[in-house]
Amino acid sequence: MVNATKGLFISCDIPMAQFIVNLNATMPASQKFIIRVLDSTHLFVQPNVADMIKNAIADFREQNSYEKPT
Amino acid sequence: MGHGEKGRPSKSMKPSSKDDYRNAIPEDEEATYGEEIEDDYHDGEGKKKDFSKLELKPDHANRPLWACADGRIFLETFSPLYKQAYDFLIAIAEPVCRPESMHEYNLTPHSLYAAVSVGLETETIITVLSKLSKTKLPKEMIDFIHASTANYGKVKLVLKKNRYFIESPFPEVLKKLLRDEVISRARITSEAAGAEGFTVGKAMGEVVSGHNELLNEAQLAAAAEEKETHSFEIDPVQVENVKQRCLPNALNYPMMEEYDFRNDTVNPDLEVELKPHAQPRPYQEKSLSKMFGNGRARSGIIVLPCGAGKSLVGVSAACRIRKSCLCLATNAVSVDQWAFQFKLWSTIRDEQICRFTSDSKERFRGNAGVVVTTYNMVAFGGKRSEESEKIIEEIRNREWGLLLMDEVHVVPAHMFRKVISLTKSHCKLGLTATLVREDERITDLNFLIGPKLYEANWLDLVKGGFIANVQCAEVWCPMTKEFFAEYLKKENSKKKQALYVMNPNKFRACEFLIRFHEQQRGDKIIVFADNLFALTEYAMKLRKPMIYGATSHIERTKILEAFKTSRDVNTIFLSKVGDNSIDIPEANVIIQISSHAGSRRQEAQRLGRILRAKGKPQDRMAGGKEEYNAFFYSLVSTDTQEMYYSTKRQQFLIDQGYSFKVITSLPPPDSGGDLSFHHLDEQLALLGKVLSAGDDMVGLEQLEEDADDIALHKARRSLGSMSAMSGANGMVYMEYSTGKKPMGQGKPKPKDPSKRHYLFKKRYG
Repeated sequence: MVNATKGLFISCDIPMAQFIVNLNATMPASQKFIIRVLDSTHLFVQPNVADMIKNAIADFREQNSYEKPT
Repeated sequence: MGHGEKGRPSKSMKPSSKDDYRNAIPEDEEATYGEEIEDDYHDGEGKKKDFSKLELKPDHANRPLWACADGRIFLETFSPLYKQAYDFLIAIAEPVCRPESMHEYNLTPHSLYAAVSVGLETETIITVLSKLSKTKLPKEMIDFIHASTANYGKVKLVLKKNRYFIESPFPEVLKKLLRDEVISRARITSEAAGAEGFTVGKAMGEVVSGHNELLNEAQLAAAAEEKETHSFEIDPVQVENVKQRCLPNALNYPMMEEYDFRNDTVNPDLEVELKPHAQPRPYQEKSLSKMFGNGRARSGIIVLPCGAGKSLVGVSAACRIRKSCLCLATNAVSVDQWAFQFKLWSTIRDEQICRFTSDSKERFRGNAGVVVTTYNMVAFGGKRSEESEKIIEEIRNREWGLLLMDEVHVVPAHMFRKVISLTKSHCKLGLTATLVREDERITDLNFLIGPKLYEANWLDLVKGGFIANVQCAEVWCPMTKEFFAEYLKKENSKKKQALYVMNPNKFRACEFLIRFHEQQRGDKIIVFADNLFALTEYAMKLRKPMIYGATSHIERTKILEAFKTSRDVNTIFLSKVGDNSIDIPEANVIIQISSHAGSRRQEAQRLGRILRAKGKPQDRMAGGKEEYNAFFYSLVSTDTQEMYYSTKRQQFLIDQGYSFKVITSLPPPDSGGDLSFHHLDEQLALLGKVLSAGDDMVGLEQLEEDADDIALHKARRSLGSMSAMSGANGMVYMEYSTGKKPMGQGKPKPKDPSKRHYLFKKRYG
């Protein structure tokens, strides 16, 4: 029987996929959002988490980039 | 009653003077500079200042620079007047950023102080500036130059017969100085000094009537000096404090330290001369002329890139002064190198030069000579052997003509400051390639040694073929899936560094580069790794020799010798012991796999290892056979903290005009099957090794002779101290809050008397 789930398909590079997986792992059980890890660069997640993931990644990148103070 | 009177003021002085000492420099500097300029930046660049009414001189196209009211000066390097303008600007202003076609400079009280001390007068500075400027000089800038230079050159610090005197032709200036608590306390009023003190009082009336109108004319100070000099003696221990009180941000009577070595008959001459084959290059000549401008020797710092021949400058200075010379280096290897340089460039005889290190304790013979030693040996506070105690006593009691300090950026560290107060020298010359530190102590050099006398422009030296033309590249290595997963886990926070350094993709990139340069170009390669775990892993896997802190002197020499001469040893792995002053002129490729967090100095020093010019000069010039003949690779794991550090580290070199090329795919996708860690199971085995290694093992290497002040705090390996140890804490604080708050966070007041600075210990203990 076919079972359809609405969700968000994420395509990214290997480290970012790991980052999202790790983010998912730190969430409490009720807020886990990954429906399935398809392969090392593709994920299928709950449809409502796009912004949350984007923000988390933006924060993470922010930490790793240096801007020359003026 | 007498007791009460004496007790009270000193009590009330304690906190204030301590605060003065701690806060004077940073606070004042930031108050006058940081805030003003910072505000201007925001106003100017945020709200877009209106410059449309600014009047250009009719022939502005011929004039090379633009001076802003906030003290910033921009210089066009393509102007025909560039060379002259550059020489002038480097004397009066601080270079901020020097890319290829436009340079930025900044006028500061310190830079103007340096200008005056090399003999430029206030009016000259203003006329030349306005001649070169495209627009009329802003009034603010003229006022600023007047205000900062008015008092220069009025006070001198003189060393006579092992005692320090403050000298001035203007007794009222001395009186003003004596009104300051710090200085009056430092004054020695023994019988001899008492007599000197009398002269101040006696000659006062005469001078006030006679020379009153000359007061603002710094250049006439010298003329007046011959008629009347007034002086008082100060405590040698307090010299540093007194100098600091006299700087522009406190009393504003910066002291000049000049040494009239030709007329010094007290100290015996040292019979040395430069050998005829020692031909100083134009920029070396120029830096020396700044130092010996008026026939006397000035104290100060000369900044030349690594490999540009700093040692020849040092040796020439010693040969010109021709008095006893104390030469300080950072470690035993560079002591040997300095001794060698002295013998190479000058006619010094073997018995006139001696090395003083823990291994070789040569004694000084004759009444004048050169002693080469390390900062550590002189500053060492513990018990010494009888033999070295004698030598150190000799060093302390002698009056040195020249104190030559190599790698002077390490001097501000506490133990190194001690050296300066211990040794008595007429003239101090500091040499360095990188006048940047991640802590705020670089400004200390202004009163510890003297103003910056000369700073070379890296790109000009590259163009002239004096140093190698380096291609800098940042190689981005993506983290592998498994390593990144571990990197992100909270429980691995202590191992983050080990994980991104041991990233298999990085290893493969490193291996690829080594193979490429060894086989295709026949280059000599140095691989730098601060992380000992990574250093050993890499070196073992690739079967290359390595040197780190624990490697014995004999083994080091053997490895370096093999690297220099053998055709089979083309790559060596170095930990940070190799950063400074290990001379390996053969190497022309550097691969950096891990580094000391965000230290700009380390990056520049490492680059310096390959800067020594190679090949024939005509090939090196622009348009020669090979454009680049040296390569600097920095391997960075993307998406990790390393990206942050890496960008930060590059700032100094970028300010010098270097650009970093980013390489994203190494090894190229179609090759690399024969490199290590090609298969997943190998990578997993490596991951297992990293994870099972103890936290101690994967940390940074700790060196006793560590150069940077911050790294000197011993054995703080606890969680979260990594950034503090590496200087990142201080940096973040310093850079993001310029001009907002005075220092205070970084320097808690020492409560434990045993931890007090020795200066205060004397006073309060």
